[in-house]
Amino acid sequence: MTATGLLDLTIREAGLEIERAKLSPVELTEAMLQRIARVDKTLNAYITVCSEQARAVAQAAEKMILAGYHLGPLHGIPVALKDNIYTRGIRTTAGSKILADFVPEDDATVTTRLKRAGAVIVGKTNLHEFAWGGTTDNPHYGTCRNPWNPERFPAGSSGGSGVAVAARTCLGALGTDTGGSIRLPSSVNGIVGIRPTIGRVSNHNVVPLAWTMDTVSPMTRTVEDCVLMFEVIAGYDPLDDHSAQTPLSDYRGELTRGARGLRVGLIRDYSLAHVQPAVGDTIRAALRTLESLGVEVEEIAMPSIHGNISAQLTIESCEPSTYHQEWLRTRAADYGEDVRTLLELGELYLATHYLQAQRYRNVLRKEFLRGFERVDVFVTPTLPFTATPCGATTVTIENGREENMLSAIMQFTGVPSLAGLPALSLPVGFDAEGLPVGMQVIGRPFAEATLFRLGHAYQQATDWHTRAPRL
Amino acid sequence: MNPAPPVTAESIDHLCALADLPLSQARRRALAPILAELVAAANELNRTMAHARYRGIVPVVRFPERAGGAA
Repeated sequence: MTATGLLDLTIREAGLEIERAKLSPVELTEAMLQRIARVDKTLNAYITVCSEQARAVAQAAEKMILAGYHLGPLHGIPVALKDNIYTRGIRTTAGSKILADFVPEDDATVTTRLKRAGAVIVGKTNLHEFAWGGTTDNPHYGTCRNPWNPERFPAGSSGGSGVAVAARTCLGALGTDTGGSIRLPSSVNGIVGIRPTIGRVSNHNVVPLAWTMDTVSPMTRTVEDCVLMFEVIAGYDPLDDHSAQTPLSDYRGELTRGARGLRVGLIRDYSLAHVQPAVGDTIRAALRTLESLGVEVEEIAMPSIHGNISAQLTIESCEPSTYHQEWLRTRAADYGEDVRTLLELGELYLATHYLQAQRYRNVLRKEFLRGFERVDVFVTPTLPFTATPCGATTVTIENGREENMLSAIMQFTGVPSLAGLPALSLPVGFDAEGLPVGMQVIGRPFAEATLFRLGHAYQQATDWHTRAPRL
Repeated sequence: MNPAPPVTAESIDHLCALADLPLSQARRRALAPILAELVAAANELNRTMAHARYRGIVPVVRFPERAGGAA
């Protein structure tokens, strides 16, 4: 197979070839490292490239497989990890100057599980500093850029992971998602990403942003690949106080069921309100495709939904400021200006603001749970707009009115984060400028399998996920 | 929405003193209009959550671990 052909392989395809010893993990890893060397000067998706370690792990994988020991679908597969996920012996900066020299002595639980599955870690990806922001415009490691148009932003905070996957520099990546940080870059980079139910995937040894909303999960090109990574990292972890003991589902088995019979909810005056026209048109087209697959769509009112941005801003301000309290007093000048400002603001809320926001989450969750008596999932756009120019602090969604980027970016992804629900973003089309549009599918607690089922059925009927940026 | 509360550099100064957070005058000035907007929105949510229909609602910092939708 040519090096170019290797780049377009999915995890499932490459895994099968590796298992049959028709594809060498060494050859595949080398193709990814060469691709990183070629495109990452422009894209800046990686903070650290682990060339030597990756080559050594790939060689070991090859020897094992040739000796008859195959560990599963990730064995020999090149992946990348967001740089706030601990990797033993490899620096983990969290995109910050403060942790620039931090080399963990232990792995995160998700790192351990990927290593046990035989995955090859090719690098640590760029992120918004300490994951507190949605642009990946990083003052310490450089601006990360969108592969569909390098003048546009990759969103964030897991922007580097989104770009790394979309640009074919790895087959899958891990990101973290507090208020949207996996789903936002998945949307604007044209890939798949899931935010799991809180507790489904361990947060142990992941630099926190907001403890009550943080999650870790995969970002891939297909839903099927997302499942293959998710199966490896999901499950109870006694080292994480929020970890859940709820049994795992047969995620791969669920993919074979098709979408027929699933019921999709649209939230009245919300799901398709206040979005750029191209985004609204694309989501409506995706809903028509789902209907053609046997899905029923109905509209449901959710009167409490409009308090979501204030609640998210309050919680996402107060919790990070608590974690950063000491550094803010001793190393304030080492933060980028935007993150420093947010951390200072987070110290100035009242306790009652924080607790009312946490009570609001319960109201929102109960409203969703009532809605789930009528539908299996809810659908919204992932973002109300497509990728904005790098460095923009405002965005125009409709009627020529400029809006604050941070609030606008939270419009749809903050809701499942607050309600503690899983949510999948998948690519459903492009705007007139060739920029990807993502659709968010929100499910019941621990019903990630239903999201994968719907997303996979959609990808079987469409080809948006097969398109690659020209680099 | 009620008008934004009058958050000034001086009121930020008081809050910073309570939080034991030393900030320069320039930073206090810069934070004041942003905090005014954030607190206005947070106060609006406070008013909503004060409604009688929410009296039984508890804050959620860890969701109950029950699959299938039970709250």
